[in-house]
Amino acid sequence: MIPLLEQAHSYPLTDMEKQILAYFEENLATAVYMNLDELSQALYTSSATIVRFCKKIGLNGFNEFKYELKKELSMSTHTSLSPDSLLKHSLASFKDNVDSFDLQNLRAICDFLISDRPLYIYGAGLSSIPARYLQIILTTLDRPCILVELRDLMEAITYYIKEDAILFIITTHGDALRYMQIFEKAKQHGTTVILITCEEDSPLHPYSNISVVTNDENQRYHNIDLNYRIGIITVIQILIEMIADNLLPSPS
Amino acid sequence: MTLQKGAMTLVILQLDDEIIKSLSNNELAVLQYVYDNIHAVADMSIQELAKNVSYSTSTILRFCKKLGFSGYAEFKYSLRSEIQKKNLPDEVPRHALTDKIILDTICSDIEATSNLISSDLLDITFRYLDSDFPIYLWSPGGLTTILIDYLEKLLFAIGRQNVYKIEASKTANHIIRRLDEHNILFVISTTGDFSPTVKLAKTAAMNHIPIISITPYTNNTIASIASVNFRFFTNQRENNGAEYTSRLPIFYTIQIIIKSYLKYKKMRGLL
Repeated sequence: MIPLLEQAHSYPLTDMEKQILAYFEENLATAVYMNLDELSQALYTSSATIVRFCKKIGLNGFNEFKYELKKELSMSTHTSLSPDSLLKHSLASFKDNVDSFDLQNLRAICDFLISDRPLYIYGAGLSSIPARYLQIILTTLDRPCILVELRDLMEAITYYIKEDAILFIITTHGDALRYMQIFEKAKQHGTTVILITCEEDSPLHPYSNISVVTNDENQRYHNIDLNYRIGIITVIQILIEMIADNLLPSPS
Repeated sequence: MTLQKGAMTLVILQLDDEIIKSLSNNELAVLQYVYDNIHAVADMSIQELAKNVSYSTSTILRFCKKLGFSGYAEFKYSLRSEIQKKNLPDEVPRHALTDKIILDTICSDIEATSNLISSDLLDITFRYLDSDFPIYLWSPGGLTTILIDYLEKLLFAIGRQNVYKIEASKTANHIIRRLDEHNILFVISTTGDFSPTVKLAKTAAMNHIPIISITPYTNNTIASIASVNFRFFTNQRENNGAEYTSRLPIFYTIQIIIKSYLKYKKMRGLL
């Protein structure tokens, strides 16, 4: 139960105000996201009546009422409702990810990326987003490279891949084994493999020359991949900055 | 207290008596722990350190601030760089300073962007996402296309129906011109003034089509037309006409919108 609404019962309320209170008790989850107009429409009353109700129960107005409700709602349900806590949590996890990187490791990757060896960048599904991002920016920075977004195509390429090639592979996949053949072939040919993943215990690490592990979570929604890959996109951004620092003349 | 070690750390952290006197007992205990485990601490996250000393992260943060650092990251950075200086007097790690600037800029852009996302902004966006209005995503080409694809993929993943990506400028204007206010246009612009995007947004505004936009924090045409505008911080950069401005803050904003929408949907379902 929400203390704020419980307490409201102790005030001398008019019939209309009792209806407003009842409406919040019955439709709490939706009502806290409604604005004054929507609420007055739903209750067939004026916004002034609703504001008066908020003041009667000891608050400054409707926004404070909503804020207090959201706050108490989040306290009563363990998982917090307030987007504020989500923002704070996301920011904290972003910084933790940045803190976790070994910069010497990233510089080593950067050296491979700016070399003039053939460079293949692979990412499928949602991982194609960071892959394409890196590919377009590298092209902009006058470093040509090849984007591969299909697993089968990547496998086909590894059959004839040369020793001097570099494979830059982005995968968050829970089922890393589907990439085993690609990694084995690359290793046979002596190709350099750089792995960007969020899986600490991926079986692909031993087959990679350098790997980076981010703190992205492999979550699913209705069994659909919903790993936001912000950690991976951040690694890509750091690499881009390092590459730009290397390739472009300094502004001074 | 192991004096010798302590003295070394004092030198490393350049603490004077006054700072030490200002520390509470809890903070002194944290300092003691740092003395005893200086190399390990240099690699710890604030959460790890808090756990090891059994104090809250806010105590650690207060401790760092009293020592004159902006926060834990700077404290740790200074610890690390001092250790490195002591161990390798002649060898400064290659690129150390550049790398610190890179990471600091990335983090402060994201933090500033995150601070501009208000719950009101999200609430209005949620209402549009909840509606069954078709959402048109304007994909102008280049790097912005990748951002639109990211948004599109995430909208599909959370089951939003009626999401249409429109690509060519003429087609897009043709489509938008015949739509009414029961449609939504979503635009992303890294400059906020890209003329095909401005033109499309103006057409939409004329037809009273709600516009959700993501644009830079600076004043720009698109932000002034949009019904809901998310702002981000970034430095505009280019290489002889080809721009490579960081899109990370925009990716981050998209992630927050989808993540918080999903949470909001779950809460509504739960209650």
